[in-house]
Amino acid sequence: MKRVLLTLLLIQGLAVAAETKVDKGIKMPYMDFPMKPGKGMYSTKGKCNMCHSWGYTINQGLQSKKFWRKKVAKMITVFHAPIKNEDIEEVVEYLYTNYGNGKEE
Amino acid sequence: MPRREFFKKAATVAGSAVVGSTLAEASEVPSTGHPIDNRKVADIAFPQKRPLITYSDRPPLLETPREVFAQPITPNDLFFVRWHMPMIPTYINPHKFHITIDGEVETPLRLSLASLKKEFEAVEITSVLQCGGNNRSAFHPTPGGIQWGPGAMGCAKWKGARLKDVLAKAGLKKGASWIKFNGLEKPVYTKTDGFVRALELEKLHDQIIIAYEMNGEELPYLNGFPVRLILPGFYSDSWIKMLSNITVTSSKPQLHFMDHAYRIPDNDCECETPDNLAPKTKPIEEMNVNSLIGYPVSGTKVKANAQLIVRGVAFDGGHGIVKVEISIDGGQSWQEAKLDDGKQGSYAYRSFSHTLTPKKSGSLTIMAKATNTKGETQPFAYEVKWNRGGYKFNGIDEVTVEVVA
Repeated sequence: MKRVLLTLLLIQGLAVAAETKVDKGIKMPYMDFPMKPGKGMYSTKGKCNMCHSWGYTINQGLQSKKFWRKKVAKMITVFHAPIKNEDIEEVVEYLYTNYGNGKEE
Repeated sequence: MPRREFFKKAATVAGSAVVGSTLAEASEVPSTGHPIDNRKVADIAFPQKRPLITYSDRPPLLETPREVFAQPITPNDLFFVRWHMPMIPTYINPHKFHITIDGEVETPLRLSLASLKKEFEAVEITSVLQCGGNNRSAFHPTPGGIQWGPGAMGCAKWKGARLKDVLAKAGLKKGASWIKFNGLEKPVYTKTDGFVRALELEKLHDQIIIAYEMNGEELPYLNGFPVRLILPGFYSDSWIKMLSNITVTSSKPQLHFMDHAYRIPDNDCECETPDNLAPKTKPIEEMNVNSLIGYPVSGTKVKANAQLIVRGVAFDGGHGIVKVEISIDGGQSWQEAKLDDGKQGSYAYRSFSHTLTPKKSGSLTIMAKATNTKGETQPFAYEVKWNRGGYKFNGIDEVTVEVVA
């Protein structure tokens, strides 16, 4: 009886080992989305890119200053981005200067 | 904006990354064109995927190239990807994974993947999965959000357990009225709202399933391994990936991603202008009638006086496609295309084909327009009305080929 139990346990153990071996998960690649060089780039990089890629930002399309300001505000209020009040304008200016559509609103 | 200019812009987007829309707004007046087409796939493939058009790596945002839509089923490794939160598990042990069902239920459940497969009837449904912002780059002024081309969609055969059966096992309490869904993707800060979505209980139907198979295989991680919610006919915003919790509530939950995202004007035209935004909005929910030409793609060179077989897909929110028409004279006259047998059901792509023989050399524009069983059809692209989120574009599709002698 003991031997049967042991064999059963062994078989079960092997089965689990065989199954778990199949799936090792994935490794995400890193992709570079270069930022346009300009005033405020490094500051913006640290604040935005800590949570998401620069691709997520620039693939919103070229936008107005009001749009970028609202986006930054949303990142702070909804997503808790660590951007201090006194740093908001620098980020908005960088985004608008480099990824703006030429319109204030 | 003239179409030709679009191609020029699209052609400049190359290399490993798509850059932001380079379209300068010509005027304040909202106008719609065609989505940015023919973007190049990235030179890096994501795990379990072939190289796709890549907008972001964190979170991954990947678009399927147009030529894939020459077939009615989208292969798993070409299927588009859209996540909201930057932190996605890269390893899930399927033997330890479980879904919890709680809230207004008699018996809270903790279902393993094995019990989901064993204890519930397995059902299969072929259904389109489309992002509400698919084709967003067609709208001007540019609405916020990823500037998708036409490939933020796909169609797969999903297999899983009915949500209804799972809820029945837990037993709904009297007063249960909403179902909340949460997956394993996480925001960077724990105090940030997760990507949680909710469905009104009265909208529950037999075709809504918790899928553990996609086209006969495990789901790719990036499409929600090991299980995701399948809501046929609805845009993909509530098709929660890596579904890990279902909470039944007695009232409408307050959720950022329900109350502020994926909403359109609540008026007859579902439209507004930037200067006059609609005061009331509603969730995007059911997909409108749409179609896409998979072959040929714009820029293809074809021979004059040789047969050209146009192929593509058409779909809607589940009423079913009855007709796809092709025009080669800018939409003045239309010829009916041949449809597949429709056996995949009304939530699936209905594939179409149409043979034509170009006579003259030069550029030739081919348009496709679908009609559903309700008689709803696609407007011309320029007739599609603007909304701030850039949702639900369904303008008549077109590609331009070069006919050579």
